[in-house]
Amino acid sequence: MSALVRLVILGGGALALITLPLWGDEGTRSTLIFLSYHAAMAQMWNLLAGYAGLVTFGQQLYVGLGCYTLAVLCERLGLGVWPSFALAALVCGLAAVPIGALTFRLKGGYFAVGSWVVAEVFRLLFGNWEYVGFASGMFIRAARRVDPWAIYFVAVGLAVGSLALVVAMLRSRAGLALMAVRDGEEAAAGLGVDVWRIKLVAFVVAAAGTGLASALVAVQTPFIQPNAAFSIQWVAAASFMVVVGGLGTVEGPIIGAAIYVLVQEQLSGSGALNLVVLGATSVIVMLVAPQGIAGLVRDRLAWTQFPIARRPPG
Amino acid sequence: MELIETLVNGVLLGGLYGLVGLGLSVNFGIMRLVHLAHGDFVVLGAYFLVVGLVPLGLPPLAAAALVVPGMFALGWLVQRAIIERTLGRGVLPPLIVTFGISMVLQNALLLWVNADARTLHTPLASAGVPVGGITVPAIRLVDFAVGLVCLVVLLLLLARTALGRALRATSDDPETARMMGIDPRRMYAVAAGIAAALGGVAGMLLAATSTFYPSTGSEVLLIAFEVVVVGGLGSVTGTFVGGILMAVAQLLGARFFGPSYALVAGHMVFLLVLLFRPRGLMPRTAP
Repeated sequence: MSALVRLVILGGGALALITLPLWGDEGTRSTLIFLSYHAAMAQMWNLLAGYAGLVTFGQQLYVGLGCYTLAVLCERLGLGVWPSFALAALVCGLAAVPIGALTFRLKGGYFAVGSWVVAEVFRLLFGNWEYVGFASGMFIRAARRVDPWAIYFVAVGLAVGSLALVVAMLRSRAGLALMAVRDGEEAAAGLGVDVWRIKLVAFVVAAAGTGLASALVAVQTPFIQPNAAFSIQWVAAASFMVVVGGLGTVEGPIIGAAIYVLVQEQLSGSGALNLVVLGATSVIVMLVAPQGIAGLVRDRLAWTQFPIARRPPG
Repeated sequence: MELIETLVNGVLLGGLYGLVGLGLSVNFGIMRLVHLAHGDFVVLGAYFLVVGLVPLGLPPLAAAALVVPGMFALGWLVQRAIIERTLGRGVLPPLIVTFGISMVLQNALLLWVNADARTLHTPLASAGVPVGGITVPAIRLVDFAVGLVCLVVLLLLLARTALGRALRATSDDPETARMMGIDPRRMYAVAAGIAAALGGVAGMLLAATSTFYPSTGSEVLLIAFEVVVVGGLGSVTGTFVGGILMAVAQLLGARFFGPSYALVAGHMVFLLVLLFRPRGLMPRTAP
C-alpha cells in the first residue's frame, strides 16, 4: 500500500515537472530552476552534515569554483557551455582531494570553520586575479544564448540526480560505512572501516555535486563576481534548508528548498530581513524540532518517501 | 628600518588579535563550544560604543564602563536562553545555532544602523609615539597594553580564584564538578559572559583602531579562530602568541604584496601551521 502511494507521489511529481513547458509560464519556470539548484546544493550539504558527520561552512568554495570553471572555460578558452558545465564537476571534485586532506586535520567545529577559511582564501585570490576580472567579475556571453527550457531540464535533472545519487550511495556498502563513521568514528574504525577514506569520498562527491549545481547558476545568471560566488550565504541557505527540511533525511533538502523559495519570495524586498528570518528559523528549529519537517513526518506518521533504513526481516 | 616598523606594528596589533581570540578560547576551553557568533559580539560591542553611547555625549571611558557589563549580560543571557540547550547533543546543533545567531546579529545591525563604515574618533588614532627610533600609532600601543592586561587578568582569575577553580573543574569533568556542588550550567554561563565581555573590550579597541561594518563580524570570527588554532587549542597564553603571529603575517603581507593581500597572508600562515604543526604552537588539548 505505502509502496503504491510512494509511486503515485513520484509519478505525479515527475509528470508535472516533465510537462511544465506545456502549461507553465516563465515565472513558474524560474521559480523551479531556483528551487532545483538549491535542492541539489542542500542535498550535497546534507550528505556531509547529515550522513558523513562532516559539518562544513566551506561549501561556498565549490560554488565559486564551479561558477568560475564554467566562466573561464566558456569565456576565455572558448569551450561550449555544456562541456564546460560538466567539467566544473571534475575541477571541483579534484580540488576537494587536497583541500579535504588538509582540513580533515581539524575535527568537529574546527573543521567547519577551517573549511570556511579555505573558501575565504579562494574568494580573496579570485578578487585579486586579473585574468578573471578582479572583484568586478565576468560575463559569460555564450550562456546568454542557452534556451531557458534547457536550463530548466538540467536543473530538475540535478535535483533528481543528486537525490538518486544520495539514495544509491546510502543503500550501498559505502553508505553503511559512512553512517557508521558518523555515529562513532572509533567504533567504525574498529569494524574495519577506513574512516579517512570514506569521509574523503563523501567530501569529493559533495564538492563535485555542489560545483555542478553552481555552474548551472552561472549559466542562468550569466554573470559572476567573487564576493557573491564565494559568499558564506550559500552555506547559510544550504544549512537552513537541511535543518528545516530534516537533517539526515533524503526528503529534507527538497522540503527545505521549497520553504526557502517561499521565504525568499515573501521577503524579496529586504535582504537583511530575509537573513534575520532564515537565521532565527534555523535556531528555533534546532531547539524545538531538531529532526526537521521530514523527521517529524517520519516519527509521527511513520512515513518516508525514500526508504533507506534497513529493517530486520519478519 | 621599515621592516622593523612593520614588525613592531604587527606585534602591537597582535595584542588586539590575541584579545579577539581569547573570547573564542574561553568558550572552547570551558565548554568545548566553537562560538560562530563571537566575531559579531565583538562588532556589536563596537556599535554599542560608537552608535549607542558616544552620541549621548558620554566620555569614552564612561561608555566603556557600560559596554563591558552590558556584553557580559548579553553573553550570559544568550548562553542560558539558547546555546545551553544545544550542548552535549553532538557537533551540529551548537554550530547551527551560533551560526544562526551570527546571521541574526549581523543583519539586525544592518537594519538598525546601515552598511556605512564607522569608527571611533579619538586623539589616540592620529597621535604617534616614538619607540626606539620609529614612530608607532598610539592606539596600537593601547591595543597591546589592554590585550596584555586582559590576558593577565584572565590567567589570574583562572589560576588564583575560587571561581577560576570552579571553571577549570567544570572544563575538566562537569559530572565530578557537579558532585562537588558546582552547577556546570552556571559555570558555562559565566564563561560565556566572560567571553562576551572580552569581546566587548576587543570591539571598543577595534572601533578606535580601524573602520568597521556589520559584516566585519565574519572577518573577526575567522581571525579569532585562526589565532586560537595557531596558538594551540586550550592554551590561553598560546592564543595571545597566535594573535601576534597572525597580525605580523597580515601586516607583512600588506607590505610586500599590497593592502589587498593582508587577509590572504594571514590565512596562508594559518594553513601552513595546519599543514606542518596541526596542533598549533603551544598545544594543550587534542583538537
